Amino acid sequence: MQQEKVHVRLLLIAGVVLLWMMCVFGRVAYLQLFLHSDYLAKASRQQRRTLEITPKRGAIYDRNMHPLAMSVPVHSVFAVPSEIKDMELATRLLAGALGIPQATLREKLESPSNFVWIQRKVTPEKEEAIRSLNLKGIDFLEEYQRNYPKREMAAHVLGFVDVDEKGLGGIEYEYDNLIRGKSEKIVVMADAHQRWYDGGEAQKDRGASVVLTIDEKIQYIAERELQAAIAKTRAPAGTVIVQDPNTGAILALANWPRFNPNAVTDVPNEARMDRAVSAIYEPGSTFKLVTLAAAFDQNLIRADEVFNCENGSVLVAGHRIHDHKAYGMLTVSDILANSSDVGAIKIAMRLGSPKFYDYIHAFGFGSLTGVDLPGESRGILRRLENWGSFSIGSISMGQEVGVTPVQLATAVSSIANGGLLYKPHVVQEIRRAGQAVPLDGASSITEPKRSIRPETAATLRRLMEGVILHGTGKLARLDGWTAAGKTGTAQKIDPNTGRYSPTKVIASFTGFAPINNPAVTILISIDSPEGWPHGGGDVAAPVFKRIAEQVLPYLDVARDVPVSPRLLQTSYRNETQIDSSAVEDFTPANLELETSDVPERQPAEKGSSKPKEVTVAVEEGGDITVPDFTGKTMREVTEGCLKMGLNPVLVGTSLASHQIPAPGSKVRRGTKVTVEFGKAADLAAKAR
Amino acid sequence: MEKKNKAMMVEFHTVKRIDNSRLRRHIEPAKLRNLYKTVALGGVVAMCFMFYIYQHFRCIDLSFQLEDLKGKQEQAANLNGKLRLNIATLRDPHRIDLIARHQLGLTEPGPTQVREYTNFDGAEEASVRYTRPNRQP
Repeated sequence: MQQEKVHVRLLLIAGVVLLWMMCVFGRVAYLQLFLHSDYLAKASRQQRRTLEITPKRGAIYDRNMHPLAMSVPVHSVFAVPSEIKDMELATRLLAGALGIPQATLREKLESPSNFVWIQRKVTPEKEEAIRSLNLKGIDFLEEYQRNYPKREMAAHVLGFVDVDEKGLGGIEYEYDNLIRGKSEKIVVMADAHQRWYDGGEAQKDRGASVVLTIDEKIQYIAERELQAAIAKTRAPAGTVIVQDPNTGAILALANWPRFNPNAVTDVPNEARMDRAVSAIYEPGSTFKLVTLAAAFDQNLIRADEVFNCENGSVLVAGHRIHDHKAYGMLTVSDILANSSDVGAIKIAMRLGSPKFYDYIHAFGFGSLTGVDLPGESRGILRRLENWGSFSIGSISMGQEVGVTPVQLATAVSSIANGGLLYKPHVVQEIRRAGQAVPLDGASSITEPKRSIRPETAATLRRLMEGVILHGTGKLARLDGWTAAGKTGTAQKIDPNTGRYSPTKVIASFTGFAPINNPAVTILISIDSPEGWPHGGGDVAAPVFKRIAEQVLPYLDVARDVPVSPRLLQTSYRNETQIDSSAVEDFTPANLELETSDVPERQPAEKGSSKPKEVTVAVEEGGDITVPDFTGKTMREVTEGCLKMGLNPVLVGTSLASHQIPAPGSKVRRGTKVTVEFGKAADLAAKAR
Repeated sequence: MEKKNKAMMVEFHTVKRIDNSRLRRHIEPAKLRNLYKTVALGGVVAMCFMFYIYQHFRCIDLSFQLEDLKGKQEQAANLNGKLRLNIATLRDPHRIDLIARHQLGLTEPGPTQVREYTNFDGAEEASVRYTRPNRQP
């Protein structure tokens, strides 16, 4: 009986337990099987976030991978006005921390919007100050800020960006799509504390990096020398271009006035203008190179042909043209060396307008060079049918035609490299994720076009050397290297009178060095230098010398002018007290500070302690004496060069008539020796 | 009447001494084996479920750690970028030029000073290696 009662109770309890378990498992089964998809969707909605990722803007490097522009993360302050409890307190505290007027801040915080920017891209100090306030409704968003660590250096090439990192000038604008990359949306999973546990896929399209052809050191040299020339002549503007004539790559591009791309808010437009590609000016006497090149290429003149320069004055189509000096009979080489306008006009008239026009186009004038910088101008060249009766005369001496500095530098480079017109460019390559991206379209490097024959180029190089040796460009003569160039002093149009100004000129010099295997083409243009003299040979030629004498050793270009053995003197630091104030502006945070002018080189003070000197005996120059190849055949010249370890460059036919370097020069093994060949009659004439 | 009779009946309880100590419960081997198999199988299934649950939560935990490390990596990369920016600023040629001229008292070599020099053994190779990248192709 008792047992039956126990048995029944046990059964009852078992039944209750069983029922409970059935309810539990039934519920579990119901949730797992029937409501599975609903709860899965709910969980997904709770945990899944879709974020828009803006890729970091790619960096810009010089040719040696030194960064010129890069983006670093910074924080921007935003507010959710509805979450701010004490508006007055928040306004007061934020205004103090950020340095914003309270009225401006109050207006933002009283906005009905759910999201209000307080200040974009604040400094780390301000960010720390605001974080320490711990204000509800105030938060931070990470953004990127563009920095240009070299400040004004190559500012016109690099360009600048706006607050949203959109390119607005230079390479930043031209390659904005590539550098910026593409924003993409990624899906992330986050828990209740907003911690990610599945961050989605990595970004596929990061911003590409741009490697320029600009060399940081050469750029600095060019900018420093331009600044010194501007300061000396009190000119309002100027341009320097350093180009590799063998590829068209631009090694340096400097403009004045310049600006700091880290702080462009109040910079005037004229300072931001890239004068090297946009400014048009009449090239003046520099354009005589085109006149003579065309005539030589058409075999219409010879270097030793004599022209009557009419004692410096000639009447053409009702216009009287005066030379700067009363020249009588001049050879063609002297016409170029002395920059005779009369001589140039006569040569052009022998050439004729149609052929002259063709050669002007062949040198790239009147059309875009295709340089990968924005805002390029094609210059001014009237169509042939619009030329007046005197246009050929004007244009032959560089007036009635407008060119940009980059056009002129490229044209002179074509003379330097033997007659090939390369497309000037500042971009060497684009890199993304460590891989080079092929340049396409307008950015691609195209095959060069031929402007003149190699023989014509060789002849012109020799004549241009004469400009420096005994012509108007004597101040451009280099110490240790041969050089060739042409001066230019172009009168500017006076906007008040509409006529040429007697005082305002554009002084220019364009040249290359060395003559044999040119390594650099350098163009200097100074706009409206003050004082006297103010010609290209006086103002611009010395700048060419200073730049070339620094750039050529930097590029490890062997000297090709014999130099006698010298003693090397090295200055060590003097004993005066160190002054550290000069470099205080260069802390990385102060990128927006204006640089002070580069001080003039200080002469050594009298009575100051003499620096220690170390004298080291050196042996300068090479160990191979260049023989005289005059009158020899091509085979003899080639064999002789190869035997001595020299590289022969042969131009022309028949017998050797001229050579660079000159006979007797001391050169190093492997130096190129250019030998021109002419007819026997030329040799006989020379001998007489 | 019958109830009265039943009440007058005396019941006698006899004690039976039953010694069951020699009795052994016979367990059928087959049933025992089946039991063991069932328990083992159940254990395996349970382990599988436990392992599944463990790896699921372990995976989530590792994901948290991974995202945490990604965040640290990004912070390190950002710091690296800022340091490279500092380096680039300090290497500004204008700044170095000012230091050289103003602090160290260096000047440009004059026209009679020569920059090239005869290298000694070992130094010559290093010098060539240093200057060669500057040479234009």
